Amino acid sequence: MENASYLLAAYTIVWAVVFGYILLLFNRQQSQQREINSLKKTLQGKKEA
Amino acid sequence: MNFWSKVLTIAWKDALSEIRTREIIFSVLVFTLLVIVIFNFAFSANQQMIELVAPGILWVTFAFAGVLSLNRSFIMEKEQACLDGLMMCPVSREVIYVGKMLASLLFMLVIEAIALPGFAFLFNLAVLSPQLIAITVSTTIGFVAVGTLFSALAVNTKAREMVLPILFFPITVPIIISAVQASKLALAGEPWTKLSPWLQIIGTFDIIFLAVSFLVFAFIIEE
Amino acid sequence: MKRKVLLWLSLALMMASLYLVFIYVPTEKEMGIIQRIFYLMVPMGWLALLAFLIVFIGSILYLVKRTSKWDTLAYCSAEIGIVFTTLTLITGSIWAKPVWGVWWTWDEPRLTSTLILWFIYLAYLIVRSFAIEESRGAVFAAIVGIVGFVDLPIVALATTLWRGMHPGPLIFQGGLAPSMLLTLLVSISAFTSLYILLLIQRVSMKNDEMELSTLKRLSS
Repeated sequence: MENASYLLAAYTIVWAVVFGYILLLFNRQQSQQREINSLKKTLQGKKEA
Repeated sequence: MNFWSKVLTIAWKDALSEIRTREIIFSVLVFTLLVIVIFNFAFSANQQMIELVAPGILWVTFAFAGVLSLNRSFIMEKEQACLDGLMMCPVSREVIYVGKMLASLLFMLVIEAIALPGFAFLFNLAVLSPQLIAITVSTTIGFVAVGTLFSALAVNTKAREMVLPILFFPITVPIIISAVQASKLALAGEPWTKLSPWLQIIGTFDIIFLAVSFLVFAFIIEE
Repeated sequence: MKRKVLLWLSLALMMASLYLVFIYVPTEKEMGIIQRIFYLMVPMGWLALLAFLIVFIGSILYLVKRTSKWDTLAYCSAEIGIVFTTLTLITGSIWAKPVWGVWWTWDEPRLTSTLILWFIYLAYLIVRSFAIEESRGAVFAAIVGIVGFVDLPIVALATTLWRGMHPGPLIFQGGLAPSMLLTLLVSISAFTSLYILLLIQRVSMKNDEMELSTLKRLSS
């Protein structure tokens, strides 16, 4: 049963990496969306001015 | 002028420039012989050990020498804006590819023709068998087929020479493996039939990558 | 809309596969419990190849059509692909240690081929970042994608033949019991669905990135 720790390690690493990557993408997209929205507002402001 | 005469003109231009300056062949040749000597020290040789590691040493040396020589051939073009000059000539991009490739092939074969007897001398091995020559020529064709393509790519990047090994080595792994194994068999005096699976791999690689590089080369040097 | 569906599908398939791997499938006789890594490793390896296939297709279409959406597809698949290739190597290594006693072996052709694939992915990504302008970088990377993919069967052939000279550890002997096959197929589907989800997500992010840089240019 000692091999079970290897099995656990493998699944943990894979899930950690996959979820970490998903989280990374998610956070980056949030900040990108915020920046896009703020830039769009600025450009709107310039057009109206 | 038809295709082949244009190709030979380009190849001859490179060869002529090399004959006059002797930049590539001389430095790469010295490098090759030095690497062989250093490897010899790295493996503290008794004759048995030498027979085990010799094929590997030979092909690692040729692979590194190949990268050096390929780098030189396109860097000179870039530095002296010869590439732009070439492109202004009414030749198709494929002609440039085949011309440069043949020139590099010539240089590498010359280097190998000198290095192999040197290798035979230092390692007491019979390297001048027709089998080994066949292996060397076919693998070198594979090296220059891919190497010319990648070297043209590399000189157009920020890191220049450093990029070529990163591209070259992973792609040529199969023919390096095949060359080493086939050389091992050839040095042991095995018949052609035993070498043939490895030679087939090298041959397939050569044909496929000559074709692919030929088709794709134009994309690299267009502006 | 598509993304939500895909998200729930992936989740459901993942749950199913976890159940199958840990509860349903019987323990393999020879290797014991560690054999269950197999249901993780094969999907990882499969994704590493699938992602590169998409890189290959995207690269060809980009060189032919020159619309940036194909380059975006290729790049995003390469980014996801190298993550999964790394995971393939890690799981393969974790498998190797208890089963053969070593962290790495050169004798297993699939492992060594995956290592070469990893380097090819790396070359693809490096060439992009080392190019002088972005558009050239995309063309160069496309070339690496095409040459690299064409090289893969030859790499597999050479490493397999090489292994024939040193018979040694082999990942998998014998056939698959039906329960194992089912578990494997569900695991592969789960991860494939995850890959597609990640790809769609990453592509939309890349499009956002490009929109962002355009907006930045306009507002300055």
